[in-house]
Amino acid sequence: MSSLRLLGVSWWLQFKMIMRSPFDGIGNVIYPLFFATTAFFVFRAGDSPRTLIYASFGAAVMGMWSSVSTSAGSAMQRERWWGTLELLVTTPRHFSLILLPTTLGLATVGIYNLAATLLWGRFLFGVHLTIAHPLLFALAILGTVLSFAGLGFLFAVSFVRFRAAWVLGNFFEYPVWLICGFLVPLSFLPGWVHPISWALAPTWGMSAIRESALGGSPLPDIGACVGLGLGYVVVGVLVTDRVLRAARVSGSLSLT
Amino acid sequence: MIVAARIFFVGGLTSFRALFYWLTPWIYIPTMLIAPIFQILLFAYIGRSAHLRSDEFYVIGNALQYSSIPCLFAMAQSIGGERFQDTLSAILVSPAARIPLFFGRSLPVVLNGALVSAFSLAVGSLILGVHLPASSFAPLALVVLIAAFSCTGLGLINAALSLRIRENAVLSNVIFGFLLIFTGANVPLDDLPSWMSTAAQGLPFTHAIAAARKLANGAGLGDVGGLVGAELLVGAIYGVAGFLLLRWFETISRRHASLERS
Amino acid sequence: MAAIEAAELRRTYKTHTGTFRRRAKEIEAVRGISFAVEPGELFGLLGPNGAGKTTTIKMLITLLIPTGGSARVLGLDVVHQAREVRKRIGYVFGGERGVYERLSGYDNLRYFAELYGVPAREQKRRIEELLELVGLKGREQERAEGYSRGMKQRLHVARGLLHDPEVLFLDEPTIGLDPVGAREVRATIASLTEAGKTVLLTTHYMFEADALCDRIAVISKGSIVAEGTPLDLKRGVAQGSVVEVEVFGIADEALERVRALGGVVAVAIEEREQAQVLVVQTEPDVELTQAILSHLNGSDVGRISRREPTLEDAYVALVSE
Repeated sequence: MSSLRLLGVSWWLQFKMIMRSPFDGIGNVIYPLFFATTAFFVFRAGDSPRTLIYASFGAAVMGMWSSVSTSAGSAMQRERWWGTLELLVTTPRHFSLILLPTTLGLATVGIYNLAATLLWGRFLFGVHLTIAHPLLFALAILGTVLSFAGLGFLFAVSFVRFRAAWVLGNFFEYPVWLICGFLVPLSFLPGWVHPISWALAPTWGMSAIRESALGGSPLPDIGACVGLGLGYVVVGVLVTDRVLRAARVSGSLSLT
Repeated sequence: MIVAARIFFVGGLTSFRALFYWLTPWIYIPTMLIAPIFQILLFAYIGRSAHLRSDEFYVIGNALQYSSIPCLFAMAQSIGGERFQDTLSAILVSPAARIPLFFGRSLPVVLNGALVSAFSLAVGSLILGVHLPASSFAPLALVVLIAAFSCTGLGLINAALSLRIRENAVLSNVIFGFLLIFTGANVPLDDLPSWMSTAAQGLPFTHAIAAARKLANGAGLGDVGGLVGAELLVGAIYGVAGFLLLRWFETISRRHASLERS
Repeated sequence: MAAIEAAELRRTYKTHTGTFRRRAKEIEAVRGISFAVEPGELFGLLGPNGAGKTTTIKMLITLLIPTGGSARVLGLDVVHQAREVRKRIGYVFGGERGVYERLSGYDNLRYFAELYGVPAREQKRRIEELLELVGLKGREQERAEGYSRGMKQRLHVARGLLHDPEVLFLDEPTIGLDPVGAREVRATIASLTEAGKTVLLTTHYMFEADALCDRIAVISKGSIVAEGTPLDLKRGVAQGSVVEVEVFGIADEALERVRALGGVVAVAIEEREQAQVLVVQTEPDVELTQAILSHLNGSDVGRISRREPTLEDAYVALVSE
């Protein structure tokens, strides 16, 4: 019960902090829009309205992923800079309960990216979207946010020991964009890439969002997406203990 | 003259090294060598799925355009970064001549940017099976160098702005984004609205990318002389403007004591 | 049972130099120190920067795992019972970091109240109390980025007390504060022991340790070089006396010659505005003024004085050994 409360309160405070950093916010929203714009131009030249709708959802989820991947990798590094990492570790809570709300906050901001990209496509490129199953669409977005938070959490803990964590976070932006079916259908990619794509929740989240919007059956995709997300959380919790102990041995929790 | 040359080379190199002490292979390899390859792959596959243009188009466009990451960030770091290390004022009160000082700092940035582009061009071509004629290697290397020079000119303006704006990384990213859309790296200028393709004429990379594509298709260096000249001119204009902006900010900063952060 | 107990505590760091051919180097930050702090005591770890104070505290608060020896807080092992230890201790460090600048002071406290599992019903009352205690009442809704150093520091203290810990660790809590701010923080610290808390304080300010601590351990280069009440420490050098000579530029060789004199306990140089002051501590019943002066030939010499030793001299003598 108190753990749930902790998750809720810290998610809200994290969200508050992100929204209060206008520059980070602007950067996070604008940066993926550049890629979205480029994609819109490319697909528009292809001259099929169907692909432009396809691209619009893809670009929107690209934006969602950006807000998690670039920030989650550096979440710990930021706490280190602020000098708060040690304070968090000296609290009696399991560290994963502290970190999970952080990445959940970042993933929530992704909804903003999603909306911004869809509106961008609507008003600048005239991509008209109709959502076939609004309720399932909302559910698909929720599932995607949760799984992104889970994947971000796994990144964040795995990077605790790397000072170059922020780069590693950025580093996962492109590959996921490339292989999770956002703009490039999986069938275009070499066969050996497919298993990697299937193991990544964004692939299923993307598919769920498209299916629900275009009138398919998104439930299996939502299930796979949330299931994988939970799997990342479980692995992340296990990694947390090892990583923190290692950091206490090496003395790498503080900057100085 | 010799003193100026020393400030140019030694000062430039030292500052580059000092500011990038954190730039270990752990950071350099992912950001400078692997990320551009993924950018190339992303757009090449987007192009394939939209049934457009050849892989070569995207390999050349993105390999050149990606050098804006090292050029913009490194330039801002090597000037704006010092503000946070409190050494800028120490340098500015020194009587060292400004021109070799600021331009000296840009030399390693240009070389590094060209290296990043050349590497991604070579590796991207290999992965996607793009064949570049051997005769184009030398002229392509020259164009890559000029593109990096031209973007570093813009980087100098970015560096000057970094003296006034705290969140320089965001600004660098935004400039990178504009270059991604406008320069023809991924979208042919003809497919852009006319105001965008007009604006592109004044941006780094636009002419270099066009020249590089021609070279890859067998044109000689003589055939692209005009484009190369235009790219050089664009870079030179940005470089001079950036330098003037830096001088101007230096003066205001001295008046308002806003050089240091605290 | 002692509230804090360190036994032969030891910590080495491995550092690496070079990018491609990495060479490992070991640095001994703490070289086997032992001490015990009784419940309700305010115990000071006093030493210059880099002496190993912070490393020691970080081992005690479970942030660092010792490379040797052991430590217990309230009878709990800091390595194996880390979580139990964390519930019962508070940690406050000096400086401006460690605050979420984009959140208000109140939200900062609320977050940590949640992390320390302060029951929801009690949170509000507890936070109000602490804001009152550290004098931040009325400013709690402002974002912490606008706080002065002193206010941030007091916010730290409030944070450290949220869960009403039995033992508090304060790592240089007054560092970087102006005299007024430092005095306010010291007053708060003094009130903690009245409330029955056990406090371990590190500082490099002598007078702070003198004014606040029941007992002091002086730490130098990773080892404890003296331990006792402030009075004990003063007494250790009280028999001698101190000769101060104002000089205007002094050669290293001259300094060495003075140090080598029979009867000299410690030699230090203090920088004053125009000049330096050579501070020489001597053993009791030795008159060295003339001998010292004779070794300073060649230097300009100003005022010469002789006085009784202070705690500061005791400290200088201890850490310069």
